[in-house]
Amino acid sequence: MNYAHLHLLLNHFPIIGTMVGLGLFLVSFLGKNSDLRRSSYIVFAAVALISIPAFLSGFGAQLMIKGPSVSDALLQRHQGSALLSLWFMEATGALALIGLWQSQRTSQPPHWNVTAVLLFSLLTVGLMARTGNTGGDIRHPEVRPGQTVTTADGTVTEGTIGSIIHVFEPNPEKFSEAVTFSKWWWTFMMILHFLGLIMIVGTVGLLDIRIMGFLKQFPIAPLHRFLPWAMAGLGVNILTGLLAFIGLPENYIYSGVFWLKMLSLLLLGLNAAMFYLTDIFEGVENLGPGEDAPISAKLIAASSLFLWFAVITLGRYIQPLGDTLRPGSN
Amino acid sequence: MAVPEIFNTIEQTALSSWLRESTSVFGFYFILLFHTFGMALVVGASAVVDLRILGIASALPLKPLKRLFAIMWVGLALNVTSGLFLLTAYPTKALTNPDFYIKLSFIGLAVFTMRRMNIQVFDDASLDEVAMIAKGKMMAAWSLAFWIGAVSAGRLLSETSKYVLYGHLWGS
Repeated sequence: MNYAHLHLLLNHFPIIGTMVGLGLFLVSFLGKNSDLRRSSYIVFAAVALISIPAFLSGFGAQLMIKGPSVSDALLQRHQGSALLSLWFMEATGALALIGLWQSQRTSQPPHWNVTAVLLFSLLTVGLMARTGNTGGDIRHPEVRPGQTVTTADGTVTEGTIGSIIHVFEPNPEKFSEAVTFSKWWWTFMMILHFLGLIMIVGTVGLLDIRIMGFLKQFPIAPLHRFLPWAMAGLGVNILTGLLAFIGLPENYIYSGVFWLKMLSLLLLGLNAAMFYLTDIFEGVENLGPGEDAPISAKLIAASSLFLWFAVITLGRYIQPLGDTLRPGSN
Repeated sequence: MAVPEIFNTIEQTALSSWLRESTSVFGFYFILLFHTFGMALVVGASAVVDLRILGIASALPLKPLKRLFAIMWVGLALNVTSGLFLLTAYPTKALTNPDFYIKLSFIGLAVFTMRRMNIQVFDDASLDEVAMIAKGKMMAAWSLAFWIGAVSAGRLLSETSKYVLYGHLWGS
């Protein structure tokens, strides 16, 4: 298993996933199917999460294959395309989560949200398709229009739409430089990353220990009203974390604990899915003061608490254990 | 101003050198990890109480939040302890850095506010929720500001220090 494997394993999810999500979403307009709409939102949120490691593994794969046998121009174009589609993917996922939160009571997300998800998911599907296409060009010269079959000197050929999108795609090197241009800006991002961590652990941690059976004076429903603050913290941390990674990718990709941290985040996503998409959430939502949660809910709450502390622990050790996967080091 | 000789003496002790130089995962970064856990506990619990007083999740009963102060004190104790170890590892680096004193001042103010809120808002059984919020509102807003200041000053420490060790400026 190496980064190229990992990237190939993960990079189909964002492309196919957004298409599936968009398909469900569009069908939900026929006859106003609110369950189907919620399902499409869940797909968007899940794909937004899995797009993160798909994107990160691309940096590792790039470092592996970079060299005389691969066209640098094609690599750069793919990376720029991936950067742009990633931000649209994360925005679509965030909008979907907001819609899911707001449809808790009314069963329908508000109109502005439906419009925004429609716009962002359409753009994301298009951008993701281009990211897949430009990625394929790197290693599959046979699909390039009018090219002889060599990988090394591939030149960038764009159609009309491609050249329009390309205007909006960041230059990957300039983007990395922009993130690391000042140590004060970097420190500011890290401060935000810590404040985000505090918001998540403060709110989700409290909900977790209540469900586990401590501090039982609290009814659960009002504690759950803090969740948007946890999601805001998560949003800030995904943004600052991705920027830090893009700024100094070599600080992260060779670190085993960094990948374990990403794995923990995916497991947290799975844990949240088990909580909200089964009847477990309904079983605890209306518990009043003193009432005990079922064992299934307690296990999920304990996993959540354990995984968040694992995320902090693994994050803290990225710096001293930053080289464990570097080729030639032990 | 001369750097006090005592910092050098501390840096020469076996504990201080071990904390700095050990490659074990239970060395310096282990202490730093517990400093982060402590921060999450004390600031996380404070933030939840502050936000509730400021009107977030207003259906949550206020009185039982008193129990969260125990979590805050545990977090604080963890951070005073781990902080003393970190200080033992790098006394010159921390104590010659003005930002370190800014951080301590923010923590002092935040803890003072936290204790005042504990006593004046949560320990006074005669207050109902409306009175608790009226009395606690300013304290809650200041508490959030002081903690954000403390966390920010803490993250800035490594960017603002002048010395690494006694007699060793950065980059020399």
